[in-house]
Amino acid sequence: MSDTMFEVNAPGVDVEQLVAEIRAAAEKKMAEGVYADARIARAERLNLGNLRDADEFLNFYLKCLRDAAFVDISDFPIRERRRFLGPALVALKKVIWGLLKFYTYRLWSQQNQVNGLLVTAVEGVDQKYAAKLQELERRVQTLEKQLATDSQAGKGA
Amino acid sequence: MPRADRIAFIAPRFAEGGTVGGAETLLKNLADHAAAAGRRVTFLTTCAQSHFSWENTLPPGRRQVGNLDVHFFPVDADRDVGEFLRVQAQIDRGGPVSARDEDIWIRNSVNSRALCAFLKDHGGEFDRILAGPYLFGVTYHAAQVWPAKTLLVPCLHDEVFAYLDLMRGMFGSVAGCLFNSVPERELARRLYAFPDAKSAVVGMGLDAFAADPAAFAKRHGLHQPYVMYAGRREMLKGTPLLCAYLHAFRGRTGRDLKLVCTGSGPIEAPPEFAEHILDLGFVSEQEKREAMAGAVAFVHPSVNESFGIVLLEAWLAGTPGLVHAQSAVLRWQCAESNGGLWFRHYPDFEEALLRLLDEPALRRALGQNGRAYVQRAYAWPAVEQRLFQALDTPG
Repeated sequence: MSDTMFEVNAPGVDVEQLVAEIRAAAEKKMAEGVYADARIARAERLNLGNLRDADEFLNFYLKCLRDAAFVDISDFPIRERRRFLGPALVALKKVIWGLLKFYTYRLWSQQNQVNGLLVTAVEGVDQKYAAKLQELERRVQTLEKQLATDSQAGKGA
Repeated sequence: MPRADRIAFIAPRFAEGGTVGGAETLLKNLADHAAAAGRRVTFLTTCAQSHFSWENTLPPGRRQVGNLDVHFFPVDADRDVGEFLRVQAQIDRGGPVSARDEDIWIRNSVNSRALCAFLKDHGGEFDRILAGPYLFGVTYHAAQVWPAKTLLVPCLHDEVFAYLDLMRGMFGSVAGCLFNSVPERELARRLYAFPDAKSAVVGMGLDAFAADPAAFAKRHGLHQPYVMYAGRREMLKGTPLLCAYLHAFRGRTGRDLKLVCTGSGPIEAPPEFAEHILDLGFVSEQEKREAMAGAVAFVHPSVNESFGIVLLEAWLAGTPGLVHAQSAVLRWQCAESNGGLWFRHYPDFEEALLRLLDEPALRRALGQNGRAYVQRAYAWPAVEQRLFQALDTPG
């Protein structure tokens, strides 16, 4: 039947090169922790591509989870969008927050404890099964080698 | 083989009215162009319109639609949907499926004994029979009637159904396949050792158009940059992922980027992002084209496509593509055209989108490359040439 009639490498921009540059930039930032962000971890759960590259995804996701697990309740700015009385409202919110902080502290510390335990448990499960799988793969490899040797010996006989 | 003059096309539904899937539209368009080129075309299909209920909603019988002689046959009413779903769930889980269960699954799929009976009686009158897409009982059973003259238009995807033994049997028995893309052909080679000698990459043609890049934004009072998505909105198409990525992108970069969507289905998005989506639903072709032309990029987040028609349309509108790297077909189209970029995960997505937003010259170059590629490889004369060569080649 007919062969393909597509031209390869259309002139102009080289997208392979561009994508390689983009990937290099992304990987550099990932190494620097720029993308260790709970929002990304949440979004990545929807990435069907990850189902095919589970190891890479799991490592990335665990790193995000580690970074997001320990919440700092003081780590957010108090803002006011309305211009009218803006500074006064910010001040009021700060006072309210100062009053509530004491009561939310217990909840916050408990949550951090739970988060930390969960991360440790998930990492433990991952490590345990990764080690088990490696051991099984090693055994399969040994058995396959043994089988190949036996079958060669059988043919020779 | 002399010129194939009498051709039968077979599809489970007839593409009429714009609500039918891409594969049916592809077959209808190929049939239309074969008929316009002077070949005698008969289209065999079912009376069903809904791909959920497969209810016979159209009257059976023969109708002339344009240049096509269309025969409508009822879908078999005695299919056991319960058994079909039972085996389908088993297939979906990816576990082993016995030959008996595969047989139960295909027998209770969408079938039409009346269509197959007609084909048995009249198949001798056709030089070629084109049937697709691959995973319907109608296609499977029709392909067995006159396999030596049947060409599949499979629209093959890398999915669990493609791995069934009965599919291997079908691909092994037919005279050839018309694929939409090189990666689709490679998939058939990998799954069924399908020989290149029996295959052709044809695809679907598109007519060039002109669209004003400013018209859509002006009409909708849209002053911010936007990316565009067109098509069904569902998990498998990657639309929830796109919304989640754009939500993260807005939050992390502070860029006021919007999403414009056309097509059907509910949009699953983070609640805070919902106000940044302009959901147009079904729109006119002109509206869609103008929306595409004004976009920073056309994003196609699906990981499993056999042919990216909307991506080709976006390129005709002069807009670059941004696709999921896991989709072999979309990525291949971007690489072939030099008209689009691809991402594996959010970090790639953010980097790529920032470059597209900040470098208008890059956007223009990618869009122009894409447009030139579609005009070169997917203009109807080029597609017709590939189609007719495949039809007229013995095999």
